[in-house]
Amino acid sequence: MTHLLDIRNVSRRFGGVLAVNDVTGHVDEGELVGLIGPNGAGKTTLFNLISGFTPLSSGSVSFDGRTISGLKTNQVARLGISRTFQNLRVFPNMSVFDNVSVGAVGALPQGALGALFGSLAGGGARSAEISRRTWEALEAVGLTHVAGELAANLPYGQRKYLEIARALAMQPRFLILDEPAAGLNDTETRALADFIKRLHGTGLTIMLVEHDMTLVMSICQRILVLASGRKIADGPPDAIRRDQAVLEAYLGVDA
Amino acid sequence: MNVSDLSAPRRGQGALIPLLLALLVFVGLPALLAGFDRGYFYQIANLALIFILLSASMHLVTGVAGLLHLGHAAFYGVGAYTAALLSTKFGLGFTVTLPLSGLVAALIAFLVALPTMRLVSIYFAVATLAIGQMLYLVMLNWVEFTKGPNGIIVTKGLELFGFSLSGRLATYYTVATVVALCVLAIGRLSHSYYGNALRSIREDDQCADAMGVSTARLKMEAFTLSAFFAGVAGSLWAHMTGYISPGDFKFSESILILAMVVVGGLGSLPGAVIGALLLILLPEGLRAFGDFRNIMVGLVMFLSILLLPKGLLGEVSALQLARRQLGAAWRNTVKGEGIGWR
Repeated sequence: MTHLLDIRNVSRRFGGVLAVNDVTGHVDEGELVGLIGPNGAGKTTLFNLISGFTPLSSGSVSFDGRTISGLKTNQVARLGISRTFQNLRVFPNMSVFDNVSVGAVGALPQGALGALFGSLAGGGARSAEISRRTWEALEAVGLTHVAGELAANLPYGQRKYLEIARALAMQPRFLILDEPAAGLNDTETRALADFIKRLHGTGLTIMLVEHDMTLVMSICQRILVLASGRKIADGPPDAIRRDQAVLEAYLGVDA
Repeated sequence: MNVSDLSAPRRGQGALIPLLLALLVFVGLPALLAGFDRGYFYQIANLALIFILLSASMHLVTGVAGLLHLGHAAFYGVGAYTAALLSTKFGLGFTVTLPLSGLVAALIAFLVALPTMRLVSIYFAVATLAIGQMLYLVMLNWVEFTKGPNGIIVTKGLELFGFSLSGRLATYYTVATVVALCVLAIGRLSHSYYGNALRSIREDDQCADAMGVSTARLKMEAFTLSAFFAGVAGSLWAHMTGYISPGDFKFSESILILAMVVVGGLGSLPGAVIGALLLILLPEGLRAFGDFRNIMVGLVMFLSILLLPKGLLGEVSALQLARRQLGAAWRNTVKGEGIGWR
């Protein structure tokens, strides 16, 4: 059986630093996988390698049986891989609705003709489809009541959900969340965990990148652990909790 | 709540402002112009219209897509020279040169965009500055082809399939119609999900890329389209004035157009129109002050940017206006606000 996402011997070198060192792993359709590791372990770099943000130094990544390493970021996205950002990157001077619409726009055919000639060039039907997807994504995260607000005016917590809605509007097959709990308090983190579980319940394959163990341990089915650019463990939460290498990486030797 | 909370706006709601504007441009102003019957007023009206088109086309690339374009006047010039050369060398009339001017300007923009679209922010700005200067120098120094600093006299006036439109009022109507159609087209581009994609590039191009937006292609399209409209403006100018020279298309003109877009409000199409009107009409209105008028124009620009950094009619209000007045949006049936684009 082919994996939905297949990472093979992937490395990335920045000058003299090996940020990701020969990592192999996979994600299967319908899984909720965590990717954890101490600060500087290479989580975000690995994630950027998957989404085409950063080119690989060596190795390969394939998605649904198709090699995606070497593709442009927007091509990878259109294949159905969608992401959020660790340091919130909403479009501040656009409304909430317009922000989310960009995800739907990106997943559909693009071009000036549809906008210029409307229904004559298939633009009218596409606009309706984009609007529908946008509204549905806003409903999924519960932000319809602020649809007309400027994104810059939203509080921090809502901006997180805005990013997730934008990613959902692409109707992705695989969603990567980069440290979604960063900056949230305990209550907010618990709400987020419930929300991610609900999303996963709809059949979406999700990869959660976090350095905070609690969230990952509580919801993920399987966890990949990185330390200093290498994969040091891969297994269900219970096994990871007892794994000697993981304990050492997080707490130092002899923990 | 569900998707049915999003409805199409009913026909005939709002839409008062566009109607009034159309009446003003096609009935009120022509009546006034005919009443005063002074060539000078016609000239100012036509010049203002042409600069509205230049400012609106730059709005697309600089305001919406966020690419600082410092060579826009050069594409205006390419359009004007295309029209002038086609009509003097091959005897072609306005009906033919108008679309060709747009296409030639767009083609040149496309070619220069191929290598420059990778550049970002200030580097892109400097590249467009260089392109503008190169095109200007071609107009100025390639004397055999462009007649250099002497300029070109265009004998053929405005016409439609052979019918002369070179009377004062006919000229005004022709210019107004072409400009109105072009601004309408730019409005459709900027008030649409296509415009949203361009805005997302302006806000954060890497992030837009990760959302599947073909940033390189859309940047190129916006740049090429804006050059097309500038070329059309050039053709209007060449046939309308009957004489063009490189001085009409130099760097300071690009800056003037940029100032119109910024003073009006970056990202706002009505702002770009207002900015063009202000910066064309103000110097004319201040003629009584002689040499001081340019200082006063500068002062107005300075104060407007100081007091209204988002422009006279900023993007947020402009988009609201478009959503309400043009029926360009969906209506949120719960809140009654216009959202998204139709």
